[in-house]
Amino acid sequence: MDALLKMLDGKVDQAELLHLCSRTTPIEFRSGKLESIKTKQIEGVALRVIDNGRLGFATTTDVNDPSGLTDAAIAAAAFGEEASFTFPSKMESETPQVYDASVANASEERLVEIGEEAIALIRTADSQAEINLSIAKSVEKVAIENTSGLKLEEERTTIFVSIEVEKAREGDIFLLSDEAQVRHLEDLKPGELVDRLEEQLRLGKTIVPAPSRELPVVFTPNGAIALLLPLIVGFNGKSVYLGISPLKGRIGDTVLDSRLSIADDGTLVRAPGSGAFDDEGTPTSSTALVTKGVLQGFLYDLRTAALVGAKPTGNGYKGGLFGGGGFRSLPGVGMSNVIVGEGATPQARIIAGIEEGLLVEAVLGLGQGNIASGEFSNNVAVAFKIEDGKIVGRVKNTMIAGNAYNLLKDHLIALSDSARWVHGTLNTPAIAVDAVSVVGQGN
Amino acid sequence: MEGKIKQAIARCSADYTEVRIERERRSQVLYRKDKLENLETSSELGGIVRCLKDGGWGITVFNDLAQLQEKVGEATRVAQLVALHNAEPVALAEAPVVQEEVKAHLKHDFRNVSLEEKKRLIESYNRILLSTSDKIVSTNVRYTDSLREVTFANSEGTFIVQEIPDVTLLLVAVASDGPTNIQQGFETFGEAGGFEVALDREEDAANAAKRAVDLLDARSVKGGKYTVILDPGLAGVFIHEAFGHFCEADFLFKNERLAKIMTIGAQFGKADLNVVDEGYIPGLRGNTPYDDEGVARRKTHLIKNGVLKSLLHSRETANKMGATPTGNARAISYEHAPIVRMTNTYIEAGHHTLSEMLAKIDRGVYAVKAYGGQTMFEQFTFSAAYGYEIVDGKLGEMLKDVVLTGNLFETLRSIDMIGDDRTLYGGSGGCGKGGQSPLPVTDGSPHIRIQNVTIGGK
Repeated sequence: MDALLKMLDGKVDQAELLHLCSRTTPIEFRSGKLESIKTKQIEGVALRVIDNGRLGFATTTDVNDPSGLTDAAIAAAAFGEEASFTFPSKMESETPQVYDASVANASEERLVEIGEEAIALIRTADSQAEINLSIAKSVEKVAIENTSGLKLEEERTTIFVSIEVEKAREGDIFLLSDEAQVRHLEDLKPGELVDRLEEQLRLGKTIVPAPSRELPVVFTPNGAIALLLPLIVGFNGKSVYLGISPLKGRIGDTVLDSRLSIADDGTLVRAPGSGAFDDEGTPTSSTALVTKGVLQGFLYDLRTAALVGAKPTGNGYKGGLFGGGGFRSLPGVGMSNVIVGEGATPQARIIAGIEEGLLVEAVLGLGQGNIASGEFSNNVAVAFKIEDGKIVGRVKNTMIAGNAYNLLKDHLIALSDSARWVHGTLNTPAIAVDAVSVVGQGN
Repeated sequence: MEGKIKQAIARCSADYTEVRIERERRSQVLYRKDKLENLETSSELGGIVRCLKDGGWGITVFNDLAQLQEKVGEATRVAQLVALHNAEPVALAEAPVVQEEVKAHLKHDFRNVSLEEKKRLIESYNRILLSTSDKIVSTNVRYTDSLREVTFANSEGTFIVQEIPDVTLLLVAVASDGPTNIQQGFETFGEAGGFEVALDREEDAANAAKRAVDLLDARSVKGGKYTVILDPGLAGVFIHEAFGHFCEADFLFKNERLAKIMTIGAQFGKADLNVVDEGYIPGLRGNTPYDDEGVARRKTHLIKNGVLKSLLHSRETANKMGATPTGNARAISYEHAPIVRMTNTYIEAGHHTLSEMLAKIDRGVYAVKAYGGQTMFEQFTFSAAYGYEIVDGKLGEMLKDVVLTGNLFETLRSIDMIGDDRTLYGGSGGCGKGGQSPLPVTDGSPHIRIQNVTIGGK
């Protein structure tokens, strides 16, 4: 047992220690040129104690002061919340291949090379565009140990690439971006990012006016986050506990169109949000949220599960809705990988069937508006006009608004047949819905 | 530690070396609904080294300060690698050598307040939120305090130790009236101050709760173009988000086309429009006595009499653009290198009253408090917490879902009246840029009136 935990054993009711060691190498290119290389080595510990039935929390990066940490956590527990849960005891879970030695061993030179290759590819398509690129590798070793006998450790690797392409001309700046996050080096395909960016650059050359009325909108996988974010908030057991999820009490009800199935799955092999266990040591699982339109369940961490009398689903993550929060914050309910089931129609055919509408690739102001109710209201960052089944140009200064629950239940046109990873841990096809209100400025 | 830092810098073979060591102690009390969710005291110790070698930047971040010398060497090594791949060497504008210690002066030092007392205060606000109406279903009440001691040293001889205090309070009430009618009301506070920042907020708590309940019956705004009056809170977020970020020179200095749009002397607004970023006003959250390159604070007029007067600079951008560093190179913590950021940013007061602004508006929207905002170059979008319709010069019904969008430059030109009632807000969140969030900032403005603003909606 960790020496620190041993110090606490018998002194408090229960204790849990999360120990994170991470090595990250972020590399930045700006305006097509290498700008900086950073190597970051962080070691932090988070301690939760339950003392006299009450919970206390403290974290530190001061590795030479373990007693400062234990004193702080015990002091907090003196006035803390009455603990509604116990730390889990020993359990088995399999690692979903989230470590790749070739990521861990990739040199700074290799990462610079990958960045330079991607920039060169974009340059061949468009020699004028400004290109910013970030590439980072990270190796994280997370260890969770508690006084109930749990002792877990996992090493996880990630490579993250994001590319921003900007085309400026008199009176217009067109900014495009795309990103990829993978666990294994061989899953990184910068060429695919570049292809998508090139296509958008081509489609966006002409600027066309956007009308102001209700229209069908095709959300590409990247743009679909505008529709899915309110749902992701609604599936969160914490929202259910707080009484702010419109889905509360509706398990078994048809809440979305019968073509829609959504799951959270932290066990997916090599997936960006996978791991053997969550940040509380609960094994990750595959949780059906909506199957063929019918609500199946919600996601829980230890505390929220105990408060509502549900079973923890292995979704106790630090860092909010999408996890990835290091060691500092308390765990809460977060998603692992969100998987939206594919449909049967190619995206191009969905577009071909639309007389007049928009294709939305990216929005500004994600999460603004009353998302608990399902409302979204966003400025389009990258969107195109569809006329008679064809993309005729890019629209600017245009707002889209609607209610995600309503649109995905009663106005679904189609789901595309090819899902992809977007925004790190979301896997979704394109989603086409009717009756989105569009407010354009005419140019 | 001072000796070790100076020795590590002296032994470094880079052309420029800086070391920043940070020690932080912070606490948090968080209530959600009727339960205490977090009670925490945490600490932080870590360092960052930034080196320039042959014009390339190398950076290392670490927790174990015993490794300082080794990390200085590593930063130099990766800086050399950058230099190999980039033919345009970085150089820094000159900055005065400073040796100083800046102490925090706290009226009511939060370090002397027990966690129990902090908890009791937050619990009392939470009780007010919950008891205002039986329609309040949830709350989010969060108190944070932190004191950072930041030591900055560079190879030019600058050595600065600063204490940076920060206290925030967030009061959120969530009201519900059926499964799809969920509304929230909030109040936020943030200052570079002591425990007094969080005291005596009972009335604010009651207001937040009451607003959440009122919004249940508010009407959604109808999408379209309106004459809009922004309250000081929302106008402050607008000037920060839509315009302020555009003035951050690291966004422009390697991009000729963007830099051209932001040419000093360009006319951006009417003659009474003045926009300022000011590095120190007692008590404000954005205060940066010395930035994270050791450059002293200043008051920078971004727009003076409607004309672009200055940008915000780091030493690198100032050198590239032939300007003077403005003390705006900031990092949220030792985990990050400084980038160009705002401090306390505001529109200066004009001479109109709110009733003068309202008069002669046949049909408009009064938009109050910011819920969020995002910009992409000249396109911006931000959402108001709530609003009121303006009919025939008078405030009418309460409105919800007020999301505004537009083109920055057109919008600045369309500001036709500036109020006489400038107010500054620190808030409980902060600014995000380049993966660094939240950075404590303050923004503010008087009421402003803007013609032809697009509001999204159904």
